Amino acid sequence: MIGTIGHLFLAGSFVSAVAALFTYAYSAYKDDKALESISNKLWVAKGALLLVASGILVYLIMTHQFQYYYVWNYTSLDLETQYLFSAFYGGQEGSFMLWVLCSFVVGLGLIRWTRKPYKAPVMFVMTLTQVFLLSMVVGWDILGLQIGASPFRTIAQEMPNAPFIQANPDFVPADGSGLNDLLKSPWMMIHPPIIFVGFAMMTVPFAFAIASLWTKTYHDWIRPALPWTLAANLSLLTAIFLGGYWAYETLSFGGYWAWDPVENASLVPWLIGTAGIHAMIIQRKSSRAHKAAIFLAILAYIGIVYQTFLTRSGVLAEQSVHSFVDLGLYGQLLLFILVMTIMGIGFYLYRYKELPSPEKESTILSREFMTFTGSMLLLILGLVIIIGTSSPIIGRFFVDNPTPPEIEFYNQWSMPIVIIMAFFTVIGQHLFWKKYTWESLAGILTIPLLLTSIASILSIILGDVRNIYYMVYIFAAWFAVIGNAAVILDLMKRKPKLIGGALNHIGFGVLLLGIIASSVYTEPLLDERTANYNQRIAQGDVFDEEGFPVTQPVEMFELELDSPTLINDKWMVTYEGYEISDSPRPGQQEYRLRFEPIDGGSTFYMDPVVYPMLTSSTMDNIEWTVDPHVRTGVMSDIYLYVAGSKYVEQENERVSRGASNMPVSDQQQGELDTEPDEQVIEIGRGQTVEAGEFSFTFRDFSPAAEEELPDNTQIGIRSLVEVEHQPTGDRYEVEPLFAVYTEDDRSYTYAPPLTIDSWDMTVQFTSVLPESDSIELTIEGLSYQFEEDWILVVAEIKPFVSVVWLGTFLLMAGFSVSLMRHWSREKKKQEQEDNEAA
Amino acid sequence: MKPKLIFGVLSIVLFTSLLMYNFGNSISTYVNFEQAADRSSSHVVGTWYSDKEYGFSRETMQFSFHMKDEDGNVRRVVYPRPKPNNFEQATQLVVIGELRNNTFHANDMLMKCPSKYNDPSEAEFTQAEEF
Repeated sequence: MIGTIGHLFLAGSFVSAVAALFTYAYSAYKDDKALESISNKLWVAKGALLLVASGILVYLIMTHQFQYYYVWNYTSLDLETQYLFSAFYGGQEGSFMLWVLCSFVVGLGLIRWTRKPYKAPVMFVMTLTQVFLLSMVVGWDILGLQIGASPFRTIAQEMPNAPFIQANPDFVPADGSGLNDLLKSPWMMIHPPIIFVGFAMMTVPFAFAIASLWTKTYHDWIRPALPWTLAANLSLLTAIFLGGYWAYETLSFGGYWAWDPVENASLVPWLIGTAGIHAMIIQRKSSRAHKAAIFLAILAYIGIVYQTFLTRSGVLAEQSVHSFVDLGLYGQLLLFILVMTIMGIGFYLYRYKELPSPEKESTILSREFMTFTGSMLLLILGLVIIIGTSSPIIGRFFVDNPTPPEIEFYNQWSMPIVIIMAFFTVIGQHLFWKKYTWESLAGILTIPLLLTSIASILSIILGDVRNIYYMVYIFAAWFAVIGNAAVILDLMKRKPKLIGGALNHIGFGVLLLGIIASSVYTEPLLDERTANYNQRIAQGDVFDEEGFPVTQPVEMFELELDSPTLINDKWMVTYEGYEISDSPRPGQQEYRLRFEPIDGGSTFYMDPVVYPMLTSSTMDNIEWTVDPHVRTGVMSDIYLYVAGSKYVEQENERVSRGASNMPVSDQQQGELDTEPDEQVIEIGRGQTVEAGEFSFTFRDFSPAAEEELPDNTQIGIRSLVEVEHQPTGDRYEVEPLFAVYTEDDRSYTYAPPLTIDSWDMTVQFTSVLPESDSIELTIEGLSYQFEEDWILVVAEIKPFVSVVWLGTFLLMAGFSVSLMRHWSREKKKQEQEDNEAA
Repeated sequence: MKPKLIFGVLSIVLFTSLLMYNFGNSISTYVNFEQAADRSSSHVVGTWYSDKEYGFSRETMQFSFHMKDEDGNVRRVVYPRPKPNNFEQATQLVVIGELRNNTFHANDMLMKCPSKYNDPSEAEFTQAEEF
């Protein structure tokens, strides 16, 4: 019922978007002011209707209305409130709605701040993207043609042929299937909204570029578009950072970047957007590069639509760990990207001849040439990554059923490109602020080059770098850091507000240094035995059972409880046990490892967690998820997780035993004659007898309670026995019962066995020997191999991950500084114009 | 202007062909276990075959399980790392490595998991009803 209302509001929103599309187009065409303000109202109506629809969806989620497929699929009763809220954009449909909501707010800003002649055409393009996005969620069925998938569809609508729906059309599940545990992370709550803010803002330069082609005003559009592009880039960068940080801290992927198609999909628009910013800056400063600026602004948004297509249409299904499921939107998504591409690139080519081009070529040593080169390098890097990511499409030209490219493909191509970029940033930044000849440039760069050489040589020696390629890379990265620092020092004296660009370029250099240190020089933590074993593997001395040489080194080690082990010749690591708790996740174990540096540094602890994934565990199979502990340091991070433990193994055995529930009688029959385990021992009162690893002490007899005994009991007595496992000192006290009773004039003994669960041992009091004041015990399970508590640890030491974050923060800071500067200048200029007009 | 243009076009062509050549070399094709027998490195797509024993052995430090490829061939797979998170949950596995003596030695393994982005199968639904 409420869902139907939500569905109607969505439909209303879609209809107003379509209406606004026509009115904006007409008002742009006729320059009709009145119509434009009606269009603005339609835009607001579209947003308001969508807001209500979103509110309804959130309400359905919060009130656990599981008859709705979306609610059932992404939430459950036990989900915390904040995650219930974020489940709104947890699925494909909701994330489209969030994207449109972000664009709506951006559109309000555009309506408020955009001036003639751009407003109507810009809003037309914005509305066009909204029509496409909203069409993905309207869920209309027109003459069998399915348009979009509504978040308000019920389970009955989703799968009308399911047997339980056929039996009972009003079936409402008692609980939802729940949100994936891995996504219950604060990082995952903020990552999607930030990325959609970035997507929404990246639409703005695209809209302005189209508007400039439409109105044939090729100069002014970048003034309002530049701050939006900077803001979009800042959002995307923040979102990429959050995603990387989440992957590193929460998932056991082992790093912050894996060249996964979905990761690449957010990186490529960022790279193209950055290329666009470079071109826009040249255009603003020198009135050149109009063609590149318009082209890149168009391409950045097409990049976003293309990645949306790749991740949501199901083409990447086999290649990515986290692509969306195919909702049958393939056709709509394809249409979306085709329309955007044809409109963007087609219009661009149509106007190409009219676009202003510079009268004479710029010289190599000019800021225009250098900035343009930077822009092109960024574009090339973006294209390389697009080609890699598009392997399911482009790869078909080479093979059937293509796999994704090896990681090496990305590394091999990006490395030389970023090395060239690093050199260009320094020369470009110097030329950006002053004119130089080759001689004067060489002069000003002498000191930075000297410092770079010193820093590089130090890094190479301290880091034991052997690879010449890496040496060049390190030199280039240091040059970017030091050379741009020189620019900043100079600018600070003269124009401190303009340091944004130089700050970005330092951040880029720092990022490069962090990436090489943390990825190439990551080392596994290992104990001595494993390290020696790996050395033998490297020499080709280890063979598997079939006689093939083993090639993969072992990258984990085992720790036994309370036995310190030397790790990497650096720490004595001791496993001190685990604690089980139910918060925040039921059944989680927190393991405790003590690290004592052998050179006398201060001791520290690491507490990795393992927890059962409740959404997917079943009665006979627990699925365990590891939550790594990352110890962040300035010099290096230690990344560690528990890959296996005695507790987990026992739990698994317990659960699978419970599941199979083998009939006991069958087992006993088969083993009846053998019973190798059973042993009979005789102990005198107060004496101790050793058997295997155990010792048995017979303390005394104790009386047995009447009611425990069978009828007609003649003798009924208990013995107090202490059983100790000698290696560990664990001990239990048992009081087995022995009774003799008569039935039909015959004597029987009654001796129920007692079980000591944790050792899998049974103790049976089988006879009393009064003459020697002894008892006879029958013990089963003495051969039980007692196992010390152990854990299996996977750990890595990653140098300078902190530097990666530092580089990212510097980039964010640089973009923020530039954003504020361009924004405030635009505002001032606009106010000036308004005053003049008035 | 002319020589510059030719130079530009030539370098673009050179760059693109180098890029595509390299790209073509770095991708390969998904195969089944039978085809994998003749290759030194293969990507095999399949699902976990849960009827047989699986688990991590602390002696060999390997995780081993059986996998059924898309054409129904079942082979033992060994993977020299601990059991990955959500292994049982994966709706699809991709193992990358070499088949030797009917045992697939995986150097790498990708799992496609029904994450929040993915809809569950109908089977899961029927199960949910039972609870």
